[in-house]
Amino acid sequence: MSALRFSHFAALMLALAAVPWASAQECPEVNPEAVKWLDKMSRSLQHVSYHGVVTFQRGGEDMQVVQVSHSVDGGTSTDRLTQLTGQGAEVVRKDHPLDCIHPGHNLLRLGQNQCGVAANYRLSVSEGDLVAGRHSVRIAVAPRDMYRYGYVMELDRDTGLLLKTATIGRGNKVLEKFQFANLSYGDDSPEGLDTAISHSAHHPVPAASSTNAAAKSPGWRVRWLPPGFAATDAVSSASPRKTYTDGLAVFSVFLEKLDREIRPGEGVARKGSSTSYTRGVKLAGEPVLLTVVGEVPVNTARMVADSVVWER
Amino acid sequence: MSDKMRESLSALMDDEANELELQRVLKQMENDGELRQTWVRYNATRSVMAGQGAGNLNIDISARVRTAIAESEAAPSLRQRIGRPFASFAVAASVAATVVLGGQQLAQISSADDPYGNKAVATVGSSPVGLVNTMGATAVQASYGTQAVPSLQPAAKTAYKELARQRMEMYMQEHAEHAALNTPQGLMPFVRVEEIRE
Repeated sequence: MSALRFSHFAALMLALAAVPWASAQECPEVNPEAVKWLDKMSRSLQHVSYHGVVTFQRGGEDMQVVQVSHSVDGGTSTDRLTQLTGQGAEVVRKDHPLDCIHPGHNLLRLGQNQCGVAANYRLSVSEGDLVAGRHSVRIAVAPRDMYRYGYVMELDRDTGLLLKTATIGRGNKVLEKFQFANLSYGDDSPEGLDTAISHSAHHPVPAASSTNAAAKSPGWRVRWLPPGFAATDAVSSASPRKTYTDGLAVFSVFLEKLDREIRPGEGVARKGSSTSYTRGVKLAGEPVLLTVVGEVPVNTARMVADSVVWER
Repeated sequence: MSDKMRESLSALMDDEANELELQRVLKQMENDGELRQTWVRYNATRSVMAGQGAGNLNIDISARVRTAIAESEAAPSLRQRIGRPFASFAVAASVAATVVLGGQQLAQISSADDPYGNKAVATVGSSPVGLVNTMGATAVQASYGTQAVPSLQPAAKTAYKELARQRMEMYMQEHAEHAALNTPQGLMPFVRVEEIRE
């Protein structure tokens, strides 16, 4: 701890160390140091200005390279991601309020009465490698069940910023990797790049963290979720998409009504850590196509799809 | 139950089964109660080991599937016609089910990109809508009047696999919008999107 530069983050973090979180009874074998790091990571992601180049690799595909920047101005932040390879598209999120915390980030933070991700992952901390020229701390995040993948994350020792993530599947296989190649802190945004297309990222209304706003209107419902997953945003029960997060993994369930019969069946496509599982079923007598897309194992996607019911 | 089957089953559970194993297990599950029990037990054991209750694991999809199969009118002749048994979760060999792909053109079904960047040209069948190749999905010319309705004859497995692939492409951006706000990688989930749309 003393090695930390005493930025206001460190101060914030030390202040937080005094906050009691859920009792040990509810949260077995919690590694307090790791939990504090994750908390710090989630905060720095919002409050620190930085820009850099990140590489992304999965399977036998070509490496993708993107430039990212995050600038904080007053009470809001602006994020920009520009592809330097492939399509050359740009994704921008402007004026995101710093105090707007989505459920996934809430799960990474030290709460009053929640274990957050520690409930579903075993965390351990060790010395990390040099990433993008910066000293890092390594957090190994091993799933406590078979419904999710594991991660090895390397955080900037000073700021807590996430510099590198490897997603780990069965047999310790690395499914995909994000890694900063270079990184600068501060606001001097990089000069303009050629972009083919610019997309403004959406900003859905975060779901209330306490309960799933289960409006009792007719619609479809996912009856089974892996432990620790909660809705990311507040949508009506008839919405064609519902998304869930456990703080590290996210999957979305899509429902399409078909205008004719489809023979029941299922299919899977995988890419890196992403799974797409599609199943043709009848729901309340109507033919529908259910699809689960997300960074979870196929078995999880299948069980989620299997639990979908129609409620009047 | 053979060791091979046991192995396949555990591979299936771990998300690591290859095409062959998947087929083998699913086919076997149809009429092998012991195998189904083992599947449930594996799940339960593992979740207990992972420190969870085993309560929510008695999901026996296969039973439901068997019911569905029993209810669906199978046309065994197709199986004989193809000359090889095919397994899919819902082992259905019924009449052609037409799938509307949301206006998406079904292209490049059989295209294998070669490493030198010559994209194989998808063969576009010139058959009218509805006349399809029973061995899998066939690309059908995309415009008939104003409607683009490629149709699929699921030799269910191939067709559903293709559907899953298409859905990944179709939905990944919308999924990324939410992943980008709920995971620690910021906007990075967008790099998983094949082609970003405005």
